[in-house]
Amino acid sequence: MSRTDERRERLRYVLVATLSPLAILALWAFAAARGWASPIILPPPSAIWASFLDMATNGYSGISLWTHVGASLARVSVAYVAGAALGVGLGLLRGRSRLIDALLLAPSELLRPIPPLGLIPLFILWFGVGETSKVLLIFLSVLLIMMVNAQAGVRACSLDSLRAAQSMGANRWQVFRFVVLPSALPQIMTGLRVAMGTALTILVASELLGGDRGLGFLILDASSFFRTTYVFAGVAVIGLIGLATDRGLAWAGRRIVHWEGRR
Amino acid sequence: MTVAARPLSPLEPGAAPLQAKAKAADAPPVLKFEKVGFAYDGRTIMRDVSFAVGPGELVALLGPSGCGKTTILNMVAGFLRPTDGVAVVDGREIVGPGPDRGVVFQAAALFDWMTVAENIAFSLRCAGARKSERRAVAEEMAALVGLTGFEDAYPYQLSGGMRQRVGLARVLAAKPKVMLMDEPFSALDVQTRESLQEEVLRIRDRTGCTILFVTHAIDEAAFLGDRIFLLNDLKSGAYDTFDVDLPTPRALPENRLHPSFLRLRETIYRRMRH
Ligand SMILES: Nc1ncnc2c1ncn2[C@@H]1O[C@H](COP(=O)(O)OP(=O)(O)O)[C@@H](O)[C@H]1O
Ligand SMILES: [Mg+2]
Repeated sequence: MSRTDERRERLRYVLVATLSPLAILALWAFAAARGWASPIILPPPSAIWASFLDMATNGYSGISLWTHVGASLARVSVAYVAGAALGVGLGLLRGRSRLIDALLLAPSELLRPIPPLGLIPLFILWFGVGETSKVLLIFLSVLLIMMVNAQAGVRACSLDSLRAAQSMGANRWQVFRFVVLPSALPQIMTGLRVAMGTALTILVASELLGGDRGLGFLILDASSFFRTTYVFAGVAVIGLIGLATDRGLAWAGRRIVHWEGRR
Repeated sequence: MTVAARPLSPLEPGAAPLQAKAKAADAPPVLKFEKVGFAYDGRTIMRDVSFAVGPGELVALLGPSGCGKTTILNMVAGFLRPTDGVAVVDGREIVGPGPDRGVVFQAAALFDWMTVAENIAFSLRCAGARKSERRAVAEEMAALVGLTGFEDAYPYQLSGGMRQRVGLARVLAAKPKVMLMDEPFSALDVQTRESLQEEVLRIRDRTGCTILFVTHAIDEAAFLGDRIFLLNDLKSGAYDTFDVDLPTPRALPENRLHPSFLRLRETIYRRMRH
């Protein structure tokens, strides 16, 4: 493919990716304007935008919108970074050592199918309804996802490249550092995107635990007072955070694992 | 005895072409199999295989697919241990992989996350060489295999032939005593394959490296080999040996039409078909 062809292809991708949400928005506005659904159930986009502007200037329940956003982001980032670091570490160890794999197999596989929401009552018992429970709940989900992905990544390493490294004098650590880890990176980057989506989901759920700030709190509070436009505005903010982080991670992934899909 | 047991550095352009046959006669073998047997999970692949390869010699292992060529190479590389007998390199039993035995893989097995220069200098990095030294050696080896200007490219930006050149260069950078090549050019087009075959002969002349070259192509074996082992029945340890007698330098393309080449090709062909 020539350079200009590639450019045109990219441009078309960006155009379609931008137009598709706008089309949905237009259809939505049209449906609301024709009165196909009651405004309590499906308010028009303009009303949601108005609520968003209201929150952005006056805050929600006496707290600035940015404090809500900041509280949620702080919880997610702490839990995400810690969970990803430990999960990747454990996954790599499991991939490299049969013994460590055996050690962690039952605990992690028993824990993995349990929906995080099912753990909420336990976490309340153990850690109360404060920050600890919320962060730990996200942390645990991220950790489990990243452990599975990192371990699978280790297995993606080809026998020939391991042998090549050994026959060029690499010791165990060098084989790991220069061959196993880079081979696992594509899968780890994919895992990071999946885990980010899950982390945001769990965030909203974890903020149901209580407290007086956070986007999850905002959505729940607005919904219990039937302030549908505020619910939508809150949901949209979370969605936009998800979109931005996913695009960011995908971009970073393309730079870091530049060789993926080009062999 | 004046024969260099260590291969001459490819960095010394003055290294004289080695007379492999003369050397092989009076020097102790670099590589020796003594009644080697191998079985995969109890299924015997070979039994009582013995041979010796002299310093600077290029031996072509020729045989049909599945006869055990790769298995022999893997035992020399130290990836597999013989189930019976001993495999010896430089007087010591082979117990595992090491930089004294370099491997060129059929599918190159380059590290896609490293540049050409980083791939080539990998053995030096493992040995703790400084960055400037690694770069210098990488450039030197890239020049040796005709990759000057591609040092900073990534393997996925190269053609199949160029990838094999990198595979060759990274093995040479480790200055191995023995080079093991497992059908390295079988996936390439004829022109690329022939030019790489000539490259191998030139590199052997310059470095004095001992080479075990696996192939299933008679032409390739006859053009490259000082000797050819035709592996017709490894299960009983039997194989035919053919001495190749072609003018030196062996890299001459005319050798492909030399009467001696054509005769040998026919002999082997008849032997394989009998
Ligand atoms: N990992 C393995 N496990 C079991 N059998 C194998 C394995 N690798 C090779 N074999 C068998 O050993 C025989 C020799 O294989 P190989 O040395 O790869 O042959 P060649 O390289 O000559 O084609 C074949 O019959 C093959 O099926
Ligand atoms: Mg093979």
